[in-house]
Amino acid sequence: MAMYSKEELFLAISTVIDPEVGFNLVEMGLIYDAVSDDEGSVKVTMTLSTKACPMHQMIQQWVKEAVEKMANIKEVEVEVVWEPVWNITMADEHVKNALGVS
Amino acid sequence: MNAISQEFAPPFKLIAPFFILGSLFYLLSTLLLFAFDASDLFYTDSHVISFVHIFLLGFVMMTIFGAMAQLVPVVLEVGHFAVELFYAIWPLLLTGTLLMAGGFILSPKLLPYGGLIVLISLMIFVGETLLTIKRVKEFTVVMSSVLIANTFLFFGIIFGLVMALGYAGQMSVDIYSLLRAHAYLVIGGYVSITIMGLSVILLPMFGLSHGFSLTSLYCALYMMSFAVIFVVIASLFDLDFLLYIGCVLSILSQMIYFYQVYTIYKTRVRKENDIYAKSLIFAYLSLVGALFLESLFILMSYEPFLISGAWLLFFGFFGFMITGHIYKIIPFLVWFERFSPLVGKEKVPMLADMLPKRSSEAQFLFSSIGVFLVAFALLSQNNIALSAGASFLVVGALAFVRSVLYMINFKK
Repeated sequence: MAMYSKEELFLAISTVIDPEVGFNLVEMGLIYDAVSDDEGSVKVTMTLSTKACPMHQMIQQWVKEAVEKMANIKEVEVEVVWEPVWNITMADEHVKNALGVS
Repeated sequence: MNAISQEFAPPFKLIAPFFILGSLFYLLSTLLLFAFDASDLFYTDSHVISFVHIFLLGFVMMTIFGAMAQLVPVVLEVGHFAVELFYAIWPLLLTGTLLMAGGFILSPKLLPYGGLIVLISLMIFVGETLLTIKRVKEFTVVMSSVLIANTFLFFGIIFGLVMALGYAGQMSVDIYSLLRAHAYLVIGGYVSITIMGLSVILLPMFGLSHGFSLTSLYCALYMMSFAVIFVVIASLFDLDFLLYIGCVLSILSQMIYFYQVYTIYKTRVRKENDIYAKSLIFAYLSLVGALFLESLFILMSYEPFLISGAWLLFFGFFGFMITGHIYKIIPFLVWFERFSPLVGKEKVPMLADMLPKRSSEAQFLFSSIGVFLVAFALLSQNNIALSAGASFLVVGALAFVRSVLYMINFKK
């Protein structure tokens, strides 16, 4: 039995904003998955828009801290993966519109 | 996996002097333009050489070195060997550049001293970068470009010091044949290859480009490397045919690189034309203009084509490439140091909020008009257009200095 649903975890992570583009990580489509178990352990699977992102570890830390703020969370693991490679089609419609993607 | 840890990021107080001094040298170089006589300008004129050193050492190198303190870990994916060495680089580069620039105009006796101090400064940079590269386990094309560029820089500064000794009369050398080798090693070998390598990291990162091939970059890097080697050998052994091949190769290399940038531009998803995008578009258009004029020079040997083309390459391409990236790099570094610890605790500004909108736009407008006017003046050997262009550039440079100081001092 999961302590939190994927949607609840995504909602918590959506407080993390990429300061370069000004959108949160969830609406950018950078968060691939988030699961929790009944003991309060969470695993977040995410990517970044570029491998050369100089804020790589900082963003990972922000995601971890955003989830840790939820009640009864004991442990958070954030894994950054490069497959599938992120592209703009993974972002929400309003992000694409704001960036000028037709 | 790429992981740039926070401890890899150097403190901003280490990098800030590079950017402040770089912007002041940019301003100083625009003032030196008033000393030019467009109707009788040649590339070995002492005012031209002084201007070139103020611009290339004081602005281009100073700013690139500051940026590399931040970008080397990003590109190489390892921490610096000894980032503290950067505290020694900028005072040496500042002193050496002023002595050299003064030496060309006032007294050649200053040149060996300035040259030696610059040599020490650049050797510290090259040594630190090469020792950092030694930590890399697996090389990508971009990492290779950093290695190649720094190797060329190493030889370029050796040639430069020999020339400085020759100018001062302390050594008997053929300065004009060394000049070509020195210029190609530093401008083609270091500055151009560094820009090629870094741009395939930075342009996609800021433009969110994906799915482009790097084949053109490989070709451009190989061709530029061979071009530099050919020109150096040709200059040392007086081989005109090899010199011609080297010059043509370097132009073709830049054309192929331009195509690489075009593929990145076409696949970008951030379409906004902010100051960064506008600066880069102007930079690459200047590159095209420079390549056109340099090609005409090779065909017709008319020196104003060479000087005007070099102008577009320096102030148009290098200048706007660097000022454009400054509007990304300084806000990031300031934000990283001043605001990132506050994330999640209070509202923090976005990077775009840290840009001085009016002074950055003014810098772009005045500088771009100035670059165009001076290019026209050098081509038509027109002193009125030169003074007009220089005036626009001074205003643009003042706006740039203001923008740099605004971003560095940004508080909520």
